[in-house]
Amino acid sequence: MLDIQNLSARIDDFEILKGVTLSIKPGEVHAVMGPNGSGKSTLAAVLAGREDYEVTSGTVRYLGRDLLEMEPDERAREGLFLAFQYPVELPGVSMSNFLKEAVNSVREHQGKEPLSAVELLKMMREKAALVDLNPDLKKRSVNEGFSGGEKKRNEIFQLAMLEPRLAILDETDSGLDIDALKIVAHGVNQLRGPERSFLVITHYQRLLNYIVPDVVHVLVDGRIAKTGDKDLALRLEEEGYDWLREETIAAPVG
Amino acid sequence: MKEQEPAEYTENDFLQEVASSEYEYGFVTEIASEKAPVGLDASTVRFISERKDEPEWMLEWRLRALQHWQGLHDRQAYPRWAHLKYPEIDFQAISYYAAPNSKPKYKSLDEVDPELLRTFERLGISLTEQKKLAGVAVDAVIDSVSVATTFKEELAEQGIIFCSFGEAIDNHPDLVQKYMGSVVPYTDNFYASLNSAVFSDGSFCYIPPGVRCPMELSTYFRINEAGTGQFERTLIVADKGSYVSYLEGCTAPQRDENQLHAAVVEIIALEGAEVKYSTIQNWYPGDAGGKGGIYNFVTKRGICAERNAKISWTQLETGSAITWKYPSVILKGDDSVGEFYSVAFTKGKQQADTGTKMVHLGRNTRSTIISKGISAGLSNNSYRGLVKINRKAEDARNFSQCDSLLLGDKCGAHTFPYIEINNPTAQVEHEATTSKVGEDQIFYCNQRGIGEAEAVKLIVNGFCKEILAELPMEFAVEAQKLLAIELEGSVG
Amino acid sequence: MTAVKTIDIGTDRPEARFAAAFERNRPHILNGRGQPLAEKRNRALDRFLELGFPGPRDEHWKYTNISKRLERPFEIAIAPAVPELRPQDISRFLIEGLEGSVVVLVNGVMVPGLSSIATDGPVIVPIMDAIGNPVFDRHFGRYADADDAVFTALNTAFARHGLFVHVNRGVKAGTLHILNVTTGVRDTFLQARHLFVVDPGASLTVVETHAGVDAEGMFLNAVVEATIGSDARFDYYRVQDDPGTSAVTGTYVYQEGASYASCGTVTLSGGTIRNNVAVLPDAQHCESHLTGLFIGSGEMHIDNHTLVDHAQPDCFSNELYKGVLDDSATGVFNGRVLVRRDAQRTNAYQSNKSIVLSDKASMNAKPELEIYADDVKCSHGATTGRLDAEGLFYLRSRGLTTDRARTIMLQAFVRDVLDAIAVEPLREVLERAVENRLAK
Repeated sequence: MLDIQNLSARIDDFEILKGVTLSIKPGEVHAVMGPNGSGKSTLAAVLAGREDYEVTSGTVRYLGRDLLEMEPDERAREGLFLAFQYPVELPGVSMSNFLKEAVNSVREHQGKEPLSAVELLKMMREKAALVDLNPDLKKRSVNEGFSGGEKKRNEIFQLAMLEPRLAILDETDSGLDIDALKIVAHGVNQLRGPERSFLVITHYQRLLNYIVPDVVHVLVDGRIAKTGDKDLALRLEEEGYDWLREETIAAPVG
Repeated sequence: MKEQEPAEYTENDFLQEVASSEYEYGFVTEIASEKAPVGLDASTVRFISERKDEPEWMLEWRLRALQHWQGLHDRQAYPRWAHLKYPEIDFQAISYYAAPNSKPKYKSLDEVDPELLRTFERLGISLTEQKKLAGVAVDAVIDSVSVATTFKEELAEQGIIFCSFGEAIDNHPDLVQKYMGSVVPYTDNFYASLNSAVFSDGSFCYIPPGVRCPMELSTYFRINEAGTGQFERTLIVADKGSYVSYLEGCTAPQRDENQLHAAVVEIIALEGAEVKYSTIQNWYPGDAGGKGGIYNFVTKRGICAERNAKISWTQLETGSAITWKYPSVILKGDDSVGEFYSVAFTKGKQQADTGTKMVHLGRNTRSTIISKGISAGLSNNSYRGLVKINRKAEDARNFSQCDSLLLGDKCGAHTFPYIEINNPTAQVEHEATTSKVGEDQIFYCNQRGIGEAEAVKLIVNGFCKEILAELPMEFAVEAQKLLAIELEGSVG
Repeated sequence: MTAVKTIDIGTDRPEARFAAAFERNRPHILNGRGQPLAEKRNRALDRFLELGFPGPRDEHWKYTNISKRLERPFEIAIAPAVPELRPQDISRFLIEGLEGSVVVLVNGVMVPGLSSIATDGPVIVPIMDAIGNPVFDRHFGRYADADDAVFTALNTAFARHGLFVHVNRGVKAGTLHILNVTTGVRDTFLQARHLFVVDPGASLTVVETHAGVDAEGMFLNAVVEATIGSDARFDYYRVQDDPGTSAVTGTYVYQEGASYASCGTVTLSGGTIRNNVAVLPDAQHCESHLTGLFIGSGEMHIDNHTLVDHAQPDCFSNELYKGVLDDSATGVFNGRVLVRRDAQRTNAYQSNKSIVLSDKASMNAKPELEIYADDVKCSHGATTGRLDAEGLFYLRSRGLTTDRARTIMLQAFVRDVLDAIAVEPLREVLERAVENRLAK
C-alpha cells in the first residue's frame, strides 16, 4: 500500500524529516507517535503533497506508484485521505456542494457515474450518523462556525464519504474531550476494512485505546526511533519520550 | 478641580473648554533680527544663498527650483485635492529669510543671543553644556537659522554627522549633492519646489555603516519673526546596517496673521538600515475664531533604497491652522518595511489633511498604517493615504487602520484612502471606523467614580495609546502631556 | 472651487459633435408636449459644454480614462432604426421563472408586441409620452445630479428613450424586467433614461438587463432616477453582460421617511463600464443597501462609484462590493459615505473585497468616509488579495483539480453578494452565469 524509504524533508532551511522508513500493508493500522516538533505533522503534510515542504531525499511508493510525483488532488483521487489537524474554513462553500465536488471527482476518476443530488444527500445522512454530526450541516459553509470537536468529526465524516484506500489522521484527537474522542474513534473503527489502511498520527496514547493499531512507530527528531506493537504506546504513556531520545543519540538510526 | 465644576457639568461644557483651550507656546522673543525683503524672485534666492556663503552649485540648484516653482505658480498649480479650505496665499507678501541676528552662522554658543537661549529654555530645551538633555542631541532652528547643535563631538567619535544643513553644505558637499533632492526632487510638488528655492537651514544627519546611533537626534523648530515663513530642509542618510531615531518638534508664537511653513524631509535608508522619525507638531493653530496660525505644507518622504531597510514615521499632530502632510515611504529594496503611526488632534477651526503614501516596488515589502484622528470644536480632520503595489512587487503586504473619534457635533472626520493594486500576490487590508466616545464607556467610568472630563481624557488616551507607544521613551511622556493639555483646555 | 470654463467646441473634441447634434436635432428632440423639458434640456446642454468630458486629472475619473473611449467617432443616435425582432429572438434573454411585467426596449424604443405588463403592476409609459404628466414633470431631472455629473447633463439634454414608471400609493407592483436589446447598430452612442416614482407604502422591484444582437462598439449613457415615498420599498438590479457595450450609468435614488431601497449592480462583461450609484436617504429611519459584483477579464475596465448621502438622522446603510479580476482587466471601487451634520445616529457600513488573479490585472479602491455628525457608527473596509492558499490545498486534498478548486473558491468569495439578491429567479440565473464566468 504505502512504502516510505529514507524520506527527508525540510521547510525553508529547517530539516524536519531526516530519513523516515515505514511500510504499510493493506488493512493495517499504523500509529506514529512522537513528542512535539518530532516531525509527525510534517510527515502527514509531505504525504498529502503540501507545497511548503521540500523533499530532499528518499522515496514514497503508493499503490506501486511514485507518490511524490503526484499532485495533491491526484493523490486524493487515488484514495489517499488526510484528516487535517487544523481543518480549513471555507466561507461561502456549502458542505453539500463541497462534498458533491469531492465525491464525484473521486468517482469520475474511478470510472463511476457521478452521484445524483438525492443519492448524495442519502449518503451524507448515512455517514453523518457515523460520527453523530448534525444532519442539517449540508447548508452550512465548510467548517465555518464549527466547534473544534465538530471540525474533527467533519474530517472523519468526509473520510467516510470519500472511502479512501489510505487515511492519514493528523492529530485528530487533539482538542477533543473523551466523549468526542470516543465518537471519532467509533467512526474510524466502523471504516476499518481489509482494503483500507490507516496512518494515525498522535501525541497521546489515549486515542490508541480506542483505535487499536497493528504497528506503532515512534518518531523522534525526524527519525523513526522505535517500532513495535501497541504495547510500545503504553510504555511511552508511562515513561515519556526521553528514554528514546537517549537511545537515538546513543545509536543513531541509519 | 472637580468640586469647582458646576453641578450641571456636561460633556458639552467639557468639549467647549477643549475647543477654547489656549496655546502655551505663543510668546514672542524680542531679539534683533535680519529679514529678507518681502517677495520672491531670483534676487531673493541670491540674497539667501549669499547670506549663507553658499557654493555656486547650491545657488544653481536653488535657481532651477525657483524657475520650476514660478512655472507652477503661473499655472496656479497648487495642490487642490485636499479637504482644506483657506484663502489663496500671496507668495509675494512673505519674507523668505529671517535670521535671529546679523550673524547667519554661529561658531559657538557664546555668539548666540542669551535671549534666544532663554527662548529654548522656556520651550524645555536647554542648549547650554550644563543643562543639555541627557541622551538627546538637539539641533535648534529658529526662523531660518540653526542656532546650536548639541553633542556634536560625542557623535563624531562614532563617525556620525549631525549638523545644520548649512554646515553640511560647507563640510560634506559630496553627501549633500548625492542625496539632496533624490527622494523629494525640486519638481515634486508646489511646496517642495518652493522649499528647494528658498530653504534657509535645517538639519543634516549621516550614520555610517553598521553604527547604531547611541542617542536620539532631535531638531527643534521655532518660527519667531512676524511676516516670515519657515522653509527648512532635513536630510537623513542611514548607511548600510545603521540605526537612528530622530525627533522633530516645533512651535511658533501667537500671531494674528497666518504664517507659512513649507518644509522638506528626505530620508535614505540603505541595506539593512533603520530610521525611526518622530514628530511632535505643535505649531500655533490660530485662535478659537480661526484667526492666525501656521499653514503647514510639508513634504516628507523616505526611501528604503536597498533590501531589508526600514523607515518608520510616527507623528503627533496637534498644531497648525492647516496641516497638509503625507510622510511617505518608497519601498524599493526587497524585504523592506514602511510604517506610519499617527495621531492627529484638531480643534477650534483647525483643518488637517494628513496621512501617508506607501509605494511598494520591491519584493516581499511590508507596510503598516495606523492612523487615529480626533476632531473637536469646528475642526475638520482628514486621513488621506495611498497604498500602491507595483507590478513587480511580489508578495507585498499592507495593513491599514484608520480610526476617527468625534468630540462634539460641529466637527468633521474623514477618511480618503487610495488603494492601487497591480500584482496578484499582494495582500492589502484597509479598515476604518468613525465613532464618538461611547456613552456606555463614560457611564462605566462615572460609575467607578471618574468624572466626565477625566473619563473623556482617559478614553481618548486609550484611543491613541498604540501610537504614543511608538514614540521614543523620552518623548512619549511629553506627548501624553501635550495631548492632555490640548484636551483639557487649560495651561499646565 | 471649480472654475466655470466652457470648452472651445470649435476643436475636434468629442463634445463638439454632441453640441452639433443637439443643434441639428433641437426641434426633433423637443417634439414633446412640455416646455419645461425643453428648458431642462437647454440648461443641461450648457452645463455639459461647461464641464466637458472628464480627463484623468479629474479626481472622480482618476482611474478611468473615459475620454479615450469617447475619441471614437460614435454615431449619436437620436432616433435609431428599430429592426423588427420576433419573440424567439429575445427569449434567451428573459429570466426563467420571473413573474411580473416585462418591457422590451429595442434600441431604446419600447416594443409593446414583445412586452407584457401585469394588470396589477405599475403604470409604464415611454418618457416622451409622459411629458405633460404632472407627476413626470415634477420629478424628471430632479434627482439626477446634472450640476455635478457631465454624463447626466448630456443624458438630460438628449434622452428620448426609456420609461416613466409610476406605482400608486400602497400598490405592491411586483417585479418589472426591463430588457434592453441593441440590434443592427454599431459604433453608436445611445442614451437611456428611466424615472421611477414609487408612492408612499408602495413597492416595486426592477431588474434591468442589456443584450446585444448583432451590435458592436456601442456606448451607453444611461440615467435612472427613482423617488421612493415614505414606507415604500424599491429594489433595483442592473445586470451588464453585453461584451459589445461600454457604458456610463447613473442611478440616483431619493428616499423619504422609513423607506427601503436596494441597488444591485452586476457587471459580467463589457468594454469600459462606469456605474455611478447615489442614494440620498432624506428623512428619518430609511434603510439603503448597495451591492455590487464585478468580474473582469480580457481588457475590461469596470469602475463602480457609489455615494450614500446621509442627510437625516436615524438611517441605516450597508454597502458590499466584490470583484474578481483576471487577464488584463482593471477594477475600480470608489465608495463615498457622507454623513451630514444633522444625520445623527447614522449607521453606515461599507465593504469592498477584490481578488486579483493575474499579473496584468489591477484593482484600485478608494473607500471614503466623510463625517460631520458625532453620534454615528460608520466603518469601511477594503481588502485586495489572492485566493486563500490553505483553502485551495484543502479542496485539492479532497480530490478537486486546481482549476476546479479555484472556481469553487471564487464562487464562495462572491456568495454573499449573490445571496443579497432578493429576486430568486434572477439569483439563479446569475449563479449560473457567474459560475460560467469564473470557470477556467
